[in-house]
Amino acid sequence: MAGHKHPSYLKIYFILLALFVVSVAGPEIAEKLGLEGVSRTVLVLSTAFGIAIWKAYLVCAYFMHLKVEKIYAPYILLACLSLLLVFFFGTATDAMFSNGHNWVKSYSEEAAKEEAQSRSHGGHDDHGDGHSDGDHYGEDHHDEGDHDGDDHNKEEDKDSHEAH
Amino acid sequence: MAEVAHAEVGHDDHHDHHEPSFWSKYVFSTDHKMIAMQYMFTGMAMALIGGFFAYVFRMQLAFPGASIPFWGTLSPAAYNSLVTNHGTIMIFWVAMPVLIAAMGNFLIPLMIGCDDMVFPRVNRLSYQIFLISAIVLIISFFVPGGGFGGAWTAYPPLSAKAQYNATPFGAPLWLIAVTLEIVAFLLGGINFITTVMNARAKGMRMYDIPIIVWMIVIASILFMCSVGPLIAGAVMLLFDQTLGTGFFDGAAGGDPVLWQHLFWFFGHPEVYVVLLPAMGIVGEITCTFARKKLFAYKLILYSTIGLGILSFFVWAHHQFISGVDPRAAYLFTTTTLLISIPVAIVLFAYIATLYGGSIRFTTAMLFALAFTGEFLLGGVTGIWLGSSGVDVYLHDTYFVLAHFHYTFVPIAIIATFAAVYYWYPKMFGRKMNETWGKIHFWGTTVSFNGIFIPLFILGAGGQHRRIYNFQHYPDLAGADMQDMRVFATLSLIVMLAFQVIFIVNFFVSLKRGEKAGNNPWKANTLEWVATSPAPHGNFGPVMPEVYRGPYEYSVEGREEDYWPQNEKPSDS
Repeated sequence: MAGHKHPSYLKIYFILLALFVVSVAGPEIAEKLGLEGVSRTVLVLSTAFGIAIWKAYLVCAYFMHLKVEKIYAPYILLACLSLLLVFFFGTATDAMFSNGHNWVKSYSEEAAKEEAQSRSHGGHDDHGDGHSDGDHYGEDHHDEGDHDGDDHNKEEDKDSHEAH
Repeated sequence: MAEVAHAEVGHDDHHDHHEPSFWSKYVFSTDHKMIAMQYMFTGMAMALIGGFFAYVFRMQLAFPGASIPFWGTLSPAAYNSLVTNHGTIMIFWVAMPVLIAAMGNFLIPLMIGCDDMVFPRVNRLSYQIFLISAIVLIISFFVPGGGFGGAWTAYPPLSAKAQYNATPFGAPLWLIAVTLEIVAFLLGGINFITTVMNARAKGMRMYDIPIIVWMIVIASILFMCSVGPLIAGAVMLLFDQTLGTGFFDGAAGGDPVLWQHLFWFFGHPEVYVVLLPAMGIVGEITCTFARKKLFAYKLILYSTIGLGILSFFVWAHHQFISGVDPRAAYLFTTTTLLISIPVAIVLFAYIATLYGGSIRFTTAMLFALAFTGEFLLGGVTGIWLGSSGVDVYLHDTYFVLAHFHYTFVPIAIIATFAAVYYWYPKMFGRKMNETWGKIHFWGTTVSFNGIFIPLFILGAGGQHRRIYNFQHYPDLAGADMQDMRVFATLSLIVMLAFQVIFIVNFFVSLKRGEKAGNNPWKANTLEWVATSPAPHGNFGPVMPEVYRGPYEYSVEGREEDYWPQNEKPSDS
């Protein structure tokens, strides 16, 4: 509303600048002092990530005006952030682990690798086209072979269409 | 924000004594009612295209290979394109603009008693982007290769490579159109939320807001929170199509299932984005014509909020057989079954509203009742599909198709008709013809069931969704199954034919309809305070004040059976 005073954006800017110095200095100091273990982790995380979150808060609150908005606006932002987490953890089981598609792993990866290696060394008969990258790429090339055929058909379709 | 709105409106008022030109009145208007009409007519025009597509591919399924009237012989590529664009158009260019954008734009300022949206120019921009998106989509039908043919869900690799979907130009144009359309509704949705939160009439507290306004706001929030992944996914897919990246290409290290997650994280809340305004419309109409207070207003409101939150936890139920982690299937089955509870609460609250009321079977009320009945059928079949075990068999059959048409047709067709018959007097100052309205009602609902009940049976019999000609599959080519397909197609033609009655009734009533007063249905909410049709600025010089909730019907001790929200208590 028109009645409220603008916060001093310059002041916020200098606070952000100071925080930036801290966030750079923190990990540097940890390095200089040669800290190890928990104390190093705490110092680096709190100065690098902790300060970053604080800075993000300041930017959202003042530059994005969330502080002077009605309370529902920050709530919507928080809802969106939490949905990001929902999406991430809902999808991670599938998208991040390529072997997560098999719930029960009925094979050992090492054994499978060894088998694949022995196959690529042993018999080239399976890969007539000279590829030894494994089944996956073999399939892909097969698809591309189909694709040429499709293109051909498509051109035929077009021709017949024009004939109409 | 409020200052901006007042400055804007004041500016417009300044020009009121000029007669606005055609362009500034109908094309570049910032008036929320005109923008609502623009959305509604665009949506209805797109519905004609979508309905025509349905007619063409249903004819192919019923009479494979025959020459189809108004089309000719349907090629397999064109079949894919028609099916894809039928789905896309009906959801993104019919349900969204008519239910959210048109109804939201028309009703929100009138129902909360303000003169316009708080961001009128953003509102106009929203429609203009939407119009461009519709034009891009229509252009995509005429490029070489035809419109996109990779199904409306656009799963890669089918959608990502022209060698699979055979539509090298249609596919990117389709993606661009969908993305533009989403941007348009994002702008509109922000406007709705801000308007309701900031510009309510004096005295209107949270629980005095009509339930449809609440539902449109909740739907807008759902939309806002869910589109991010889809826009990101659409850009990635566009890069896959045109720049040769491999976000969704397994061979290049990507993951096609990731697209399904990105799409359905948007796509499932989207179902509720269109459902909620429809349920709101039905709530208003049921209450008005039952002449009874809405049963359990607060419970409906809280259920809707719960529904909104839950809707973000169910998306993977579309992916039970696409190789998602089966442990996740437990979780998503559970949440899917849970989400039926708030939906059922709302529907049962509407049925409880009817109990003991003095019901008036106007056309709008008939459509509202039909929504409640038909949507229940769609919802109940959804419970079966939400169970991961059953879904393994039923996935991608006509059972799924019949299920979601039993939800979407009540939403996008039946509830929309209810809304048009109900608010037509406020939009144009006249009533639509009730007799023809009832004929239209019976023709539409009976033939709608005639289309999809056979498809349930066919789906349970194993008929797969994406087949061009069932005669190529001996198990599906039996005479009994073919008879059901023919029956469904004929029902569709009957349903489409009955829409002609609606269109004629709509346009004839513009000139010849019975004149409606300000409040033809004797309803309580604020839009009936404005004159019909509502003028620019809606309420004239004196803005209404609100003294009570929107559903005070048949209050004891009052002569009239309604009690408008703006009537001063001392008046009675």
